[in-house]
Amino acid sequence: MSQLSRISQPRSDFLGAAYTGEVFKSNLFKFQVDELLGQLRPKSNKQDAVVEKELHLLKSTIDAIPARAPLSTRDAEAAMERNDGIVVPFPYPRPPKDANYRLQYAKPAHVNAVGSYPLKTITKNEDSLVVDFVVTMPSDIFQEKDYMNYRYFYKRAYYLACLAAGIKSSIGNKYSLHFDYLHGNRLLPVLVAEVKMNLAHSRRSFSIVILPAIAERLFPMEKLLPNKNCVRPNHMAGDSIPSEKEPTPFYNASLRANAFVTAYLKLQHDASRQCDAYKDTCVLGRIWLRQRGLTSRVEGGGFGNFEWAVTVALLLQSGGPNGKPAFSSGYSSYQLFKATLKYLASKDLSKIPQTLGGDPITFPRGQGVPVLFDGIRGLNLFFKMTAWSYRLLQHEARSSVALLNDSTFDQFSAAFILRVDQPVCKYDVNIKIPIDSLSNIAQDEDSTAWLDERCHDVFSCLSQGLTDRVKLVSVHRPAEPQWNLNSSPTAMEQAAYISVGLLVDPTNVHRLVDHGPAAEEKKAAVAFRKFWGTRAELRRFKDGSILESLVWSKKDHGSTILQQIIFYILNRHLGEPCAKHSTYIGDQDTRLLSPSLKGSSLNESSFQPMMAAFKALEDDIRALDDLPLHLRHVLGADSQLSHGSVEVPFAPGRTRMSTPADVIIQFEGSARWPDDIDAIQRTKTAFLLKLAELMEDKIPQLIARVGLENENSPLLNQAFLDLNYPTGAAFRLRIHHDREATLLEKRLSAKGMVTLEKAETALALATYRRVFIRQPAHTQALQNLVTRFPALPTAIRLMKKWVSSHLLSPHLSEPLIELFVTRTFTNPYPWQTPSSATTGFLRTLIFLSRWDWRNEPWIVDLGTGDMKANDVAAITTRFEAWRKIDPALNRVVMFAASSIDVDGTTRTDHAHPPKVVAGRLTALAKSAVRVSKEKGLELDFESLFVADLNDYDIIIRLNPKFTKSTGASKPKHGGFKNLQLQLIRNSHEEDNVGYSPVNLFFRELEQKFGHALVFFWNSYGGDVITCLWNPQTEKRPWKLKVGYSTMPVGEPESDAVSVTANKGAILNDIARLGGDMVLDIKVKTS
Amino acid sequence: MSSKSSLKIATKVQDFVVLPLSLPPLPSYPTPATHYLYLRPEAPKGTDGPDEDTPRSLFLANIPIDATEPAFRTLFKTLCGALVERVDFEAALQKPSLVALTGEAIVQGTLVNVPIEVKRGKKRKRGAEGAEDAKVKKALEEMELPKTWGREIWKSGSNATVVFVDETTRNTVLKESRRMAKKGDAVEWQSNIEELGEKRYRTHHTLTYPPKDILQQKINTYLTHFTKLESARSKLLLKQRSVPDEDGFVTVTRGGRAGPARLEEAQAAAERLKEREKKRIGGDFYRFQTREGRKLKERELKDKFEEDKKRVQSMRERRGKIRPE
Repeated sequence: MSQLSRISQPRSDFLGAAYTGEVFKSNLFKFQVDELLGQLRPKSNKQDAVVEKELHLLKSTIDAIPARAPLSTRDAEAAMERNDGIVVPFPYPRPPKDANYRLQYAKPAHVNAVGSYPLKTITKNEDSLVVDFVVTMPSDIFQEKDYMNYRYFYKRAYYLACLAAGIKSSIGNKYSLHFDYLHGNRLLPVLVAEVKMNLAHSRRSFSIVILPAIAERLFPMEKLLPNKNCVRPNHMAGDSIPSEKEPTPFYNASLRANAFVTAYLKLQHDASRQCDAYKDTCVLGRIWLRQRGLTSRVEGGGFGNFEWAVTVALLLQSGGPNGKPAFSSGYSSYQLFKATLKYLASKDLSKIPQTLGGDPITFPRGQGVPVLFDGIRGLNLFFKMTAWSYRLLQHEARSSVALLNDSTFDQFSAAFILRVDQPVCKYDVNIKIPIDSLSNIAQDEDSTAWLDERCHDVFSCLSQGLTDRVKLVSVHRPAEPQWNLNSSPTAMEQAAYISVGLLVDPTNVHRLVDHGPAAEEKKAAVAFRKFWGTRAELRRFKDGSILESLVWSKKDHGSTILQQIIFYILNRHLGEPCAKHSTYIGDQDTRLLSPSLKGSSLNESSFQPMMAAFKALEDDIRALDDLPLHLRHVLGADSQLSHGSVEVPFAPGRTRMSTPADVIIQFEGSARWPDDIDAIQRTKTAFLLKLAELMEDKIPQLIARVGLENENSPLLNQAFLDLNYPTGAAFRLRIHHDREATLLEKRLSAKGMVTLEKAETALALATYRRVFIRQPAHTQALQNLVTRFPALPTAIRLMKKWVSSHLLSPHLSEPLIELFVTRTFTNPYPWQTPSSATTGFLRTLIFLSRWDWRNEPWIVDLGTGDMKANDVAAITTRFEAWRKIDPALNRVVMFAASSIDVDGTTRTDHAHPPKVVAGRLTALAKSAVRVSKEKGLELDFESLFVADLNDYDIIIRLNPKFTKSTGASKPKHGGFKNLQLQLIRNSHEEDNVGYSPVNLFFRELEQKFGHALVFFWNSYGGDVITCLWNPQTEKRPWKLKVGYSTMPVGEPESDAVSVTANKGAILNDIARLGGDMVLDIKVKTS
Repeated sequence: MSSKSSLKIATKVQDFVVLPLSLPPLPSYPTPATHYLYLRPEAPKGTDGPDEDTPRSLFLANIPIDATEPAFRTLFKTLCGALVERVDFEAALQKPSLVALTGEAIVQGTLVNVPIEVKRGKKRKRGAEGAEDAKVKKALEEMELPKTWGREIWKSGSNATVVFVDETTRNTVLKESRRMAKKGDAVEWQSNIEELGEKRYRTHHTLTYPPKDILQQKINTYLTHFTKLESARSKLLLKQRSVPDEDGFVTVTRGGRAGPARLEEAQAAAERLKEREKKRIGGDFYRFQTREGRKLKERELKDKFEEDKKRVQSMRERRGKIRPE
């Protein structure tokens, strides 16, 4: 204990602790781990006393159970049922009727508690306190050969039933008693006694697992090694005994595990005495496993707290080179934790079995079951695992090792706080296969074994069929329920299903053609044909090779290629009913983002025309000869140019862009530019006029128009050039001149300026930086990220869609949303980089819901790769400075910085979004996360995108005639392409490019009524604008300038006059301003 | 707003008279509504002081967002037949001045007026516009960028000043308003609302793209003017450079030689030099420097440790216990 307290309290000489870098990742990490451990370590002695008392009572009860004379199996079972009302939980297959051994009960050799409770590695946060209570059966009730043919297990089952009978008859009313399988292992039933009372000061339930075991050395280890057979086939007399007997590793390991329960407790005790940090490592591992939904039970993967603790203990003793320990006992808990994860992540134990201690033996080739063999105790620790659960464990371990290696961000909550076991967030695709749709179970077959086999079938055929389209196939089978003492194990419910989770590889998942083996490789080709059936065809490819191959089509059946393949495989290998009744949960993005393009998978190709058009624009401008200055840059500065706009901008010849894409151009420096901000604006306008003329001359049918903005503020950019290409592409060019920044800075530092003027200049400088520097850099960075993370753009589009369907899009600028989503990709922990848009989106929601924007900055590495902890610290300092300047959050509410924009306020300055919107965003994200958690696989994805209008004070419905203008507009004409192009041009639709009356209306509403109301709108074609009254519009003492239309209210008893917002008049104002665009205005009646 | 009808509306507030205006019910919002306009005799504050218009002006607060000069004319005509000379909207007066258009130059801290045809001033003082000022105004208008909005809309709760034909009219208006308010009546507010709605935004969209020739012309005029100003300025500088002042000193000014270095370039060069110097010496030359460096590092680590400790402390205070979800 003294060691524990040393770790939990920072040492007094902090220089020692200040160098925790290696030992503890970082100070911040260490402090948080310390705190976590301190909080989870159970300390209440009161509770211990209760538990002790309970265990003592149980021990004395068990000791008092009378012995039962040996009986034949049949008699023993019948007597038990008749006299005690207990069905003996015999494992499958049931004992033969003519068994010549007898079952009996005698006083146990000893009883004691094992597991995490006596080790004190139990944590407080778990819902229930479970104490494992071992009852060691006396050796004399067993015979030498009892390890064979389930005999041990039958005797054990009977012994357990006797224990149950004894407890039930004496103190049975204190508990609710059930049978369960130990860790879901069907050979080892246990008795669960749930204490009918709550522990002191907590609502946790308390149960005792009574677990019969035997002495370690009762059966010889050599007979129970994984390569031995202990279940002889039931052969008739006269059959020749087959010389080669199939090994029964699972059976053997179950028996050994049962014998070594106490030995492992001792091992753990020794480890904790040998290594100070051992217990803390166990607790950390416990939390880590729990957050990832990994348990010791067979259906939970077979790797849980026990396996973790024993693995660490074993590696502290052996596993290193030359038989030395793999881990030093001087490691800190963090180092041990990380090293264990590394060990799990880096070794492939399913291919190369590991033996720790003892002599190496040969292992049978199981179905991908990993082997970590404890040579001294002769047990494969991982015997309950399956090929898929091992892959999943490795996957999680790898993610966490990557997480712990990340030195830029504080990853504490990703490692220990966040929950990572929700299938919809974890897997890109989930498949639900109802159990009763699978081939029927034979009458006398063991249902658990049958289910295990089916899971294996699903796993193997899906992994074989999907090849590198997926990175991980994980199969989850339903848990078996506990059952009552007076019945046999209950069958699984009818509605139970196997769920399969897939992680796709975004670069391969949309592949149209699969290459199989070459025709010459006869054997492989036959296997391929056998697997794929009629789908396989022999094809000759361009490079001359003749290969077995599969060709998939996007258009088929309105589903994605992945879905088609999965259902084809299920149908072929698991039968038609299985394919028919299984549910596919994935690709939700496709349906949401392009309801018209059914089935075609979303990928970057839909933005290809946009990128090509941009390239053409750059080429066209660079090819102009008569420009007064040379061109330096043509930079995209728009989410349409980084694959990230909600709508696909345009399809050439079919649709026209409705919003021109922003482009920044920069000329080479020249001394001829005027040295005056206003004159620079005019010169830029002159440049654009010249450019317009040149472009129109060069490209036939191009329409170039110089437009004006900010015509009243010469400090800002005043002119832009719209280029409408005949193809339908549209660009908005602005000229960047870097002298502007210097002039503005000079102006800002000049003395004797009025505050108002100063604010104006500061605003102009911020706008300049945002428009001309940050935005192009941001777009550039995203363009690069899109090639690295194929799922990123669609996730961004989903997120934008979500934000806008909740009417928040006018408050959260597109780049800000892009920053939200990009974080999930560049700093994905505890998950790995999302490989589908849906998971990217859902995880972003989780991160958003946990973002405490009042106290934390949002920091994103935009993939430039050079972001270091110092940069993060610098940004945090900046953030803290802002909070000091503006503690009430009137100016900067959300602070979002990135590796290319350390300011953090570029997108969010001037209360954009305001506090109310930021709060609403968090609330919405939280409720979406909650719903997705509650619903799990039943989640109706589209329901996340439905806004609730009841929360708003006012709802302004818009005339749909005007709301349709966003989104690519379609020319109505059909016919020949050249005629069509002609028509596009002649229909004067370019007049509508960039024209959105509702947007103008909305912006004007914000400008004119912003002090009284907060407005909400879906800026992608939403047909309602909703509003909330600012709370300060309520009655207050008279003041003239409040910034909204008011009415003077006389106080009833005095001459005093108060002022309150004239709400009726304001609504009338809005109706007048909107004119024909407003259908009606509804006011919420409270 | 039935709930509001129970409120007692004050007829005057401080020195303001409250004039209720009834807003027309609309198909999209049929509930009748009343707007409250606050009137007060104009009393300019600060440097401007009262001028000849002051006695016949009224200061209006909380004007309707769609107020126009014709709308106010109609309003006061229906109220008591008062004639309005003009209306000045506060928001329209607060336009930032164009920086370069003032014919001034700051030379070595002294303000020098540059003599060119268009004199200083974009201050639209009401009335008293001499012939010179009119010329200035015209020249400025020629250079100003075309407007992109047709009809202006004011911020909710904006102010304006109405100048009536004479003082008597103004007083009649005040009196009539007071009477109206006491009676609880309201004058109908008529502003041409047919111009609003989508039509207005369409006009804005069209105006955003002014005809190229007009824009070109305005830009040309401006740039010509700007060039003139610049050359006048440089001429002046040149003169200052060559002519000694009365004490016999020649002022040192910028631009003596061709292409003087810009300040920031000079700074960058200095920075580079420093960098090179550092590289040549190669960091710590003396042992004490190494020692100090190490100490500094240690101190930094210590500080960082303390800081992190504080951070975790504040985190704990904020969100309470750390708990895995």
